[in-house]
Amino acid sequence: MHTLARTALAAAFAALSGAALAQQPAASALKNNLSMCSGCHGIPGYKTAYPEVYHVPKLGGQSPAYLVNALKAYRSGERNHPSMRGIAAGLSDKDMEELAAYFGGGGK
Amino acid sequence: MNRALLTLFALAFAGAAQTAGNADAGKAKAAQVCAACHGPEGNKPIAPENPILAGQHQDYLAKALKDYKSGKRSNAIMKGFAASLSNQDIADLAAWFASQQSNLHFQR
Repeated sequence: MHTLARTALAAAFAALSGAALAQQPAASALKNNLSMCSGCHGIPGYKTAYPEVYHVPKLGGQSPAYLVNALKAYRSGERNHPSMRGIAAGLSDKDMEELAAYFGGGGK
Repeated sequence: MNRALLTLFALAFAGAAQTAGNADAGKAKAAQVCAACHGPEGNKPIAPENPILAGQHQDYLAKALKDYKSGKRSNAIMKGFAASLSNQDIADLAAWFASQQSNLHFQR
């Protein structure tokens, strides 16, 4: 009986650590991708210098569905800001959903 | 000479005031054109795909509308609405929505 309990416990721990391992790459991908955003969107009051001068949009609290569509439109070329096109080109659908959830949720 | 310079300054300021937009005029225009999808204050979109406009940067909002109007930014719905707006309407709407409250915020 003891052995059984111990085996069950070991299995539970293995499952937990497996889940933790599986989650790790996703978390670091988000962190890496966020570093690309912060160069412009992470500076309060930041303005684009090229091709036009205006404040880059606030992303915090924005609707995640809108943000995902915006990133996809940059990736496809439908929206054509040069820097955003370059950044979106390297993002997968999953990357975009994670970023949109992060900004839409106010950084959580 | 001084008078000419003063006139020049006055004209320059008048020009700046015009592009700054009139939030009250923007409120009236928003009720006719934007409110049905974005909410009267731009903080209650009827669908998650529609962005929150309230509290967004004024110059970014104006740029978005100008790009929709010119076709530089393509969206079947927004193109139709933006086409009906004058440059003054765009400045007024940007002033209105930028001055409204929402959860939209700077997020690193």
